[in-house]
Amino acid sequence: MPIFSYLAMPKSGAKEVLCADLAALSNCEVIPSDNQEVVVLVTDTPDETTEDKLQKSLNNLQSLQSLSLAFGYDDQEKQ
Amino acid sequence: MMKRSKKRGRLVTGVAALCLLCALIFTGSTAFSASVDLRDFDNQGKKIYEANDATPQIYMSADSGDRNLASFYELRQYPGSPPRIPHEVDLTFSGDETDCLSCHARGGYSQEFGKFVPVTPHPENSLCYQCHAQVLTEEKFVETEWKSIMPPRLGRSFLGGSPPPIPHSLQMRENCISCHTGPGAVVEIRVDHSARGNCRQCHAPAVQTTPLQEFVRKP
Amino acid sequence: MKLNRRRFLKYAAASSAVATAGALFPGVSFGNWQNLTNNSGIISWQKAPCRFCGTGCGVLVGVSDGRAVAVKGDPNCSVNKGLCCMKGYHSVQMLYGKDRITTAKVRKNGEMVEVPIKEALDLVAEKLQETKDKHGKDSVAIYGSGQWTIPDGYVASKLFKGCLGTNNVEANARLCMASAVTGFMTSFGIDEPMGCYEDMDHANVFITWGNNMAEMHPVLFSRMLANRKRRTNVTVIDFATRSTRTSQAADKSILFRPQTDLAVANAICYEIIKNDWVNWNFVNEHVSFHKGKTNIGYGTEDHFAFKDKAESINFEEYKLFLEDYTPEKVEKISGVSARDIKYMAALYGDPSLKVTSFWCMGMNQHTRGTWINNLVYNIHLLVGKISTPGNSPFSLTGQPSACGTVREVGTLTHKLPHGVVMKEHHREMAAEIWDVPVSNIDPKPTYHTVEMFRALDRGDIKFIWIQVTNPMVTMPNLRRYRDGALKDGRFVVVSDVYPTPTTDVADVILPAALWVEQEGMFGNSERRTQHFAEIVKPPGEAMSDTWQIIEVAKRLGFEKQFPWTQDDYIGKIWEEYRKFHAGPKHEMASYKVLKERSGVQWPFVNGKETRWRFNPKYDPACTNGKEFDFYGKKDNRAWIWARPYEPAAESPDSEYNFWLNTGRVIEHWHTGSMTRRIPVLHNAVPSSYVELNPEDAAELGVVNGEMVKIISRRGEVTMPAQIKGRGVPPRGMVFVPFFDESYLINEVTLDAFCPISKQADYKKCAVRLEKA
Repeated sequence: MPIFSYLAMPKSGAKEVLCADLAALSNCEVIPSDNQEVVVLVTDTPDETTEDKLQKSLNNLQSLQSLSLAFGYDDQEKQ
Repeated sequence: MMKRSKKRGRLVTGVAALCLLCALIFTGSTAFSASVDLRDFDNQGKKIYEANDATPQIYMSADSGDRNLASFYELRQYPGSPPRIPHEVDLTFSGDETDCLSCHARGGYSQEFGKFVPVTPHPENSLCYQCHAQVLTEEKFVETEWKSIMPPRLGRSFLGGSPPPIPHSLQMRENCISCHTGPGAVVEIRVDHSARGNCRQCHAPAVQTTPLQEFVRKP
Repeated sequence: MKLNRRRFLKYAAASSAVATAGALFPGVSFGNWQNLTNNSGIISWQKAPCRFCGTGCGVLVGVSDGRAVAVKGDPNCSVNKGLCCMKGYHSVQMLYGKDRITTAKVRKNGEMVEVPIKEALDLVAEKLQETKDKHGKDSVAIYGSGQWTIPDGYVASKLFKGCLGTNNVEANARLCMASAVTGFMTSFGIDEPMGCYEDMDHANVFITWGNNMAEMHPVLFSRMLANRKRRTNVTVIDFATRSTRTSQAADKSILFRPQTDLAVANAICYEIIKNDWVNWNFVNEHVSFHKGKTNIGYGTEDHFAFKDKAESINFEEYKLFLEDYTPEKVEKISGVSARDIKYMAALYGDPSLKVTSFWCMGMNQHTRGTWINNLVYNIHLLVGKISTPGNSPFSLTGQPSACGTVREVGTLTHKLPHGVVMKEHHREMAAEIWDVPVSNIDPKPTYHTVEMFRALDRGDIKFIWIQVTNPMVTMPNLRRYRDGALKDGRFVVVSDVYPTPTTDVADVILPAALWVEQEGMFGNSERRTQHFAEIVKPPGEAMSDTWQIIEVAKRLGFEKQFPWTQDDYIGKIWEEYRKFHAGPKHEMASYKVLKERSGVQWPFVNGKETRWRFNPKYDPACTNGKEFDFYGKKDNRAWIWARPYEPAAESPDSEYNFWLNTGRVIEHWHTGSMTRRIPVLHNAVPSSYVELNPEDAAELGVVNGEMVKIISRRGEVTMPAQIKGRGVPPRGMVFVPFFDESYLINEVTLDAFCPISKQADYKKCAVRLEKA
């Protein structure tokens, strides 16, 4: 059951679009910056399959320039 | 200054039968009641109530989009400094209520500038030039290394949907209505519920000059 | 627990990303990052009444992952129509203070030791039984509050009055609205306001009697201001002893000397009669005149007893009584000019104006609290401005269920859920519904609140269980009662949510569920009963006060009277309690209806709420066929009382030359044990202070923030001065908010009370000041 957080950089001028795109995905929480072109994305998926699907959807987002990992947790390994 | 006497006038016509009393209403109160100046405490809180009463609803809810935060801070050297005067001033203007306040006390549309006028929160200070400087040149005498602090962040609500606290000192900015409502308001900080009239019912002052302290019980 | 852990991890994930962003993008800001609301829409909103004052605003509590995360006003609730005040908006934060009490603690060899809650409840039951066996039934007591839910108060009364047979049941509402109750009972014979908040949308004149509504009942106050703005014919008069935000907002501020509201109210009546503004049709049909005893004392001595005696008088006698209260004479007593008195009288007297009077602690915390309540009713009755929309003498309450739990359930020594212990048929009714022998219920009341804590000090009471209140901050003349609670041989049980000066004196601390961590009902100022579900789980071993009492009752062998399970007890208790109020004068809504609606006003008859009582257009209990029916009194009339002005228990003299007045600020509620744990409120008003008149401050030589020592005959406290802050007292008065346990102002106050209501006066005692 992984939890990750990322800094998501939108393509130029596409912050609003990116926020909408991300919010439309399930298992995602979006915290946009008030004043700069950057968005915090927190993902929380119940299992590996969902996580893989989500990663694919993220890769396909037109509005997304880049995604950099800030925090990762996966309790699968510990259990 | 405000339309106080007008309102009283309305009340009195409502109580016409008791015209004997009219005199009382205007002559005010006893020495005991008069011992406290109602304008002079709680950050001059009376201003908000007066302004709320005096400003027509239609004006409060109007929105022109004329001003935004970027231009607002451009006129200030740091958040809270007196803004410079961003327009030409007639040479004959003395900078007192007969000229500056003729527009800035009430707001409204200015034909001359083609814009809605910002309203001053402190019309009782009528010597405007004391603090507000004109701009005759944009050139600097010597370049400066001055750096301003960041203005308060917007949207500092503590909870989703909770009323944001007041992020600035209330000194000289006692009257919320003047800057946060009406067509002369700054769009980012304009409120759409100004008619509620008692701003500080929901918005608590939270000016953080010292590190945020939590309440901790003394053992 | 797993959900909470996961939520924590997400929070950590978000905060570390925000921190990373901060390093990469200087000056970046994330305005809303703390609201981890799941913006894919999982947040759920559930209704509840606000936890704080007696206004009873409806709120919607937002829940995400099992935690309360947000609040919005409930648009379906007619009380506040979607608006809250700053306390309400941030109220959910009070659930998550770091020092929340989540386990039971028991004093062992002087130290508080954590124990499983079962063990603590065993000990409470054992000590209660042991004390009762050894020292008699009246050596055990329970002290609750107007923040008890209705089921809390109901099971407390049932256990102590019905099963254990002692009338040692009191609540802090005694200190908060007992005078309002005795005012209603003596004037109308039936408790609680005849009007409702809708009066505000009809009235032309609002007069606030010693009532800083702008801070204490802000949501109602802004509704008043909105009415003034929307309608052109609305005037607000603030009649008070101190200048406040309410005075600033009012069209006129009139100040009077403490205690002299009695004289001014009589002078208003004098003027109404003198100018023949009396509504004779109303007075002849619906009013009778009475007088009671005078020089009735102040209750500062132990075992003080007083019983009023009503005598009928006629109108001429009443008129003669008022001769002492001409505006000119009263000007000298009160400091209110004769012109201002005449002005107020004219507003009440003008038949074209609808007048609503509001009051709360100013009139209730008053050594003549019952009298001043009577006197304001007198004004409304003389001009017949009552029980019709906009014409309303309106007694506000300060706690969310002072009405619902203390007044309606009757958690006071003399009361039963229906009626009083002194009356046999009331005892019979209670015994039958409670399934106890009628001989169990003692016909004699025991101690009212101040006397209960005196009895604890004397040792007459040896076991006391305190729930949902903080008397070790709020009792007047506090030191005596704290020392008393700490004496050997006293066993103090405290159920609370945070550590307080009251848990400091406890032998057992029981962790309590707070607000929406339990199911329950509150009852607000306008006869509105408001149900709330358990919206989030209580932390650790915390449980509702109701269930704590049930657990102890079961241990004492009263399973038969407390047969409920934790799954269904609230609904079952409600339906049992509701039997007490059957009939058109007080019919309550069913559990099912309460669950569906954002509050229901009683009497709730045939599916309809009663908005104005005593008026047959609205009130189905009216049966006399006339325009009004004041059915509370046997003569079917409302009573006007000749009540004189008598001075306060203690007034400034040459040695103690200042009045001390105490109260609240908008940010904090009561002793601050909840609001101080809400960051935004604590940041706004982090500590208490003493308000001084600027001229007094100059004479004393103190400026803002300098320390002032406040000394009375009972104690002293040193605290920072505030000049021209939230309010300004007149010369010769200081004002102190009581929310701050670091400055126990109640060590200075006096435990004098109204002899009829037994409510203490926190607004008047004599102090002197020193620059510290």
